[in-house]
This record gives sequence, C-alpha cells and structure tokens, in this order.
Amino acid sequence: MEQEVGWEPKLLGFLCRWCSYAGADLAGISRKKYPANIKIIKVPCSGRVDPLFIIKALRLGFDGVLVSGCYPGDCHYQTGNYCARRRMAITKKFLEYMGIESQRIQASWVSASEGGKLAEVVTEVTKELREIGPNQLFADGK
Amino acid sequence: MENKKIEQKLRQEAKTLLQQRRVDYIIGYEMGSLKFTTTPLITKSENDTDRLVVNPFIVNNLSVYLTEVKGKVGIVVKGCDSRSIVSLIQDNKIAREALVIMGIPCPGLIDLKKVELLLGKDRDELDNITRDGDKVVIMVDGKESNFPATEVLFDNCLVCEFPTPQEYDVLLGEPTFPVGDITAGQAKIRQLKEMAPQQRWEFWKNEFSRCIRCYACRNVCPACFCQKCFVEESEPQWVLPTPKWQDNLLFQAIRNIHVAGRCTDCGECERVCPMNISLRSLTREMYEIVGELFQYKAGMDKNALPLLTAYESTEVEDFIR
Repeated sequence: MEQEVGWEPKLLGFLCRWCSYAGADLAGISRKKYPANIKIIKVPCSGRVDPLFIIKALRLGFDGVLVSGCYPGDCHYQTGNYCARRRMAITKKFLEYMGIESQRIQASWVSASEGGKLAEVVTEVTKELREIGPNQLFADGK
Repeated sequence: MENKKIEQKLRQEAKTLLQQRRVDYIIGYEMGSLKFTTTPLITKSENDTDRLVVNPFIVNNLSVYLTEVKGKVGIVVKGCDSRSIVSLIQDNKIAREALVIMGIPCPGLIDLKKVELLLGKDRDELDNITRDGDKVVIMVDGKESNFPATEVLFDNCLVCEFPTPQEYDVLLGEPTFPVGDITAGQAKIRQLKEMAPQQRWEFWKNEFSRCIRCYACRNVCPACFCQKCFVEESEPQWVLPTPKWQDNLLFQAIRNIHVAGRCTDCGECERVCPMNISLRSLTREMYEIVGELFQYKAGMDKNALPLLTAYESTEVEDFIR
C-alpha cells in the first residue's frame, strides 16, 4: 500500500471517565510516554459507545478506534461495561466479516490506577496500526 | 389441498374473533393485484375475512404492522413471523395479551423471481403454480412441469429451522419440519468468507454502490422500530443524505448491528430491495455470530431479556486487552 511521506496513524480513543480517562490522567502525571497519535474523547461509560461512533470514525478517516472501560465488575453504573463487551464483540466480528481489518477496532480494560497499562495499550495499538497502514476503506469520492 | 383447508379454518376463525369482539382488527393476506402475489389485509369487517388467503406466496412478515395498529389484533403468522413477534414482546413493543396469533405451519414460500429465471418466462405467462410435497408443479400453456421445491423456494426458507410458529393461540394445520438444505442456503456466505478482507470489502462496496437509499429494508423490518432512525438525525449528521456508497454501507452495517439479537433472518429486507443487494448475506452472518458468541437465537423465548441488554459476568473477551 502506498504511504504518503510522514504518515502517522490516527487513533481515536473513547475512554470511560471513571477509569480509563483517569488512567490517562495518571499516565500524564506519572510522566509515562505514549504516542501522541491518540485523540481522546471522554465518555460517561464504555456502554455509551454506539457501534455507530466506531464506524463513523473510520468513515471520517481515523485509522483505528480504541474503546476503553472499567474491568468487569467495576462499572460505576453496575452493568455498562458488560453491555459494552457484548456490543463490541458483535461489532468487531461483524465488521471483520464486512472486510474491515480487525486491528482497526480495539478494546481494553484500564482502571484509574493503571496509567502504565494505558500507555502500553496506546503504544501497542499505534504500532499495529502503523503495520497495517493508512485507512483506505472509505477512500475515493470523498 | 392442504392450503384450502387451512384457508377455510382461518376464515372461520377470523370471522368468529371479530364477531365475538375478541379482536378489533385482523391482519392477514389477500390476493394481490399482480398475478400470484398476495398483499396484506388489515380489516375490522367480518365480511372481509372471506378474502383471507393461505398459499405459497404469503411472503410479507406481517408483524411489522403490530407496532402501528392500535387495539387488539388477530394476526396470521408463519414460523419466521412468530419469532419476530416474540422478539417484539421481549422488547416491550407489544403486549402478548393484545394479540390473538393464528399460526400457519409453513412449508416454505415460492420465490417468483426464481420461477421466472428457471422458466425464462414472465409470471403472467404461467397458468398455475402449486406446491405438492417436495415438488412444485408449474402449468404453462396447458403443460405441467415438475421442479424440486428447493429450486424455487426463497433462500431464507432453505435455511429455515422453525417452520412451525413458536408462539400461537391457534395452530391451523399440522406442525411441519424444515424443508431445505442448510448448507445449500449458505453458499453465498461461505463464498464470501473464503475471500480476503480486501476482496470482501470490494464486494460490499460494489453492492452498496447500487443502493438508492429508499429505506425499504428498514421500513419493512419488524426489528427496526426506532421512532427516529439515526440516518434522519441532522445534528450530528451521521449519514449524508446523498446516496454515496460509503454512507450506504455505513447505514446498512449499523442497521445490522442495531438489530443484532432481534433479527430472525426472515429475509424481508432482501426481498423488498429494488436493487437486489445481497442483504441476507449480512443478516444471516449476524444471526450466526450472535449464535456462536452468545448461544442466542432471536425470538425464541418471550421471557428472555433482549440480547444487547443482558449479560453474563464471564463472557467472550479474548479481543479485549
């Protein structure tokens, strides 16, 4: 795949405000390094993320989407992350069937005390996205 | 004729229901304006019940009207339609008490497009089409020809698991068994799965370049009951109004994910599509994914929680970091 010079993967992160977003905060405070390729949107719960957001982000040209929420059992609203888990499993499988690379849709559990894990996840995901190259899915006739 | 007997019983039953004021409306099928076709009949009048028909062409999934018709309703259902109804009950869209379900064991419906393709003739040139066990007898110019039923049944009838209604008050006729051949009905999906992801994406790109966004698939779908669909939202505008393939594909992908666990693969979306887009290759795969991941089949248990609002504490999460 032809890559433009200086191309950098663009990753969109939907982070739960009770855990992963605080985790990102902690990563900053603890001076952990992670790629600046992620743009973060704070959501009230990972259960707020409609699959529509994911595919719309890809349609708008993001190379990958990361949904991150609380560990099972830790949801601030009791069940939000359980619902998110089902939805993400279905979305990922279905979009893979349609032909979207599985690396473009990512999910993680990151608690508020895991600044290090968040940095790791973002680093890994960015690396994977770099390997599969720019998102050409919706290219042509923009 | 089995169908004639069922038809007589149905007319009698429908008439009685209206006479005894047990229902306000009857929803069923009557003969359509085009040859062989049927059209939905929604009526309050006892006299109209004589127009009700049962034949191999009662294609519509009538459960889509249940969210629109107010009052008590007597409805005619086939196996697949009954599951759509159960699914609507699960979602609290309709109350079971407000329904009198008249079930018809369905041996599979005849796809007129397939018949036309097979004979190379328009449906108006055919004299008669009848179903006889696992054969379909077609009369053309006074001559009879036999075909195996599997050649002219709808694709979704070939993979049908539950031809007898799952939920009913009266069952008109004897329970039947699956007619088709599941592997033959899934040939298209298997073909797609063997392709590389890029090829699959190209395939869908190609399909959705034809889409004119008439929304027939959405409007005919009993599982699509949102008061306001996301495609009609203008702030934020998720989907541009011009039918570009990118937005057509996005619309259909999201529609499928939104109806996951409610779609019973009744095949209505593909049947009504004016551009012949292979929509059942999406709905069927979603049905399989849901079954594989969560051992869930849509519309089987009216007391079960809808798939996407329920959860188990330990479930598939090998994809989560």
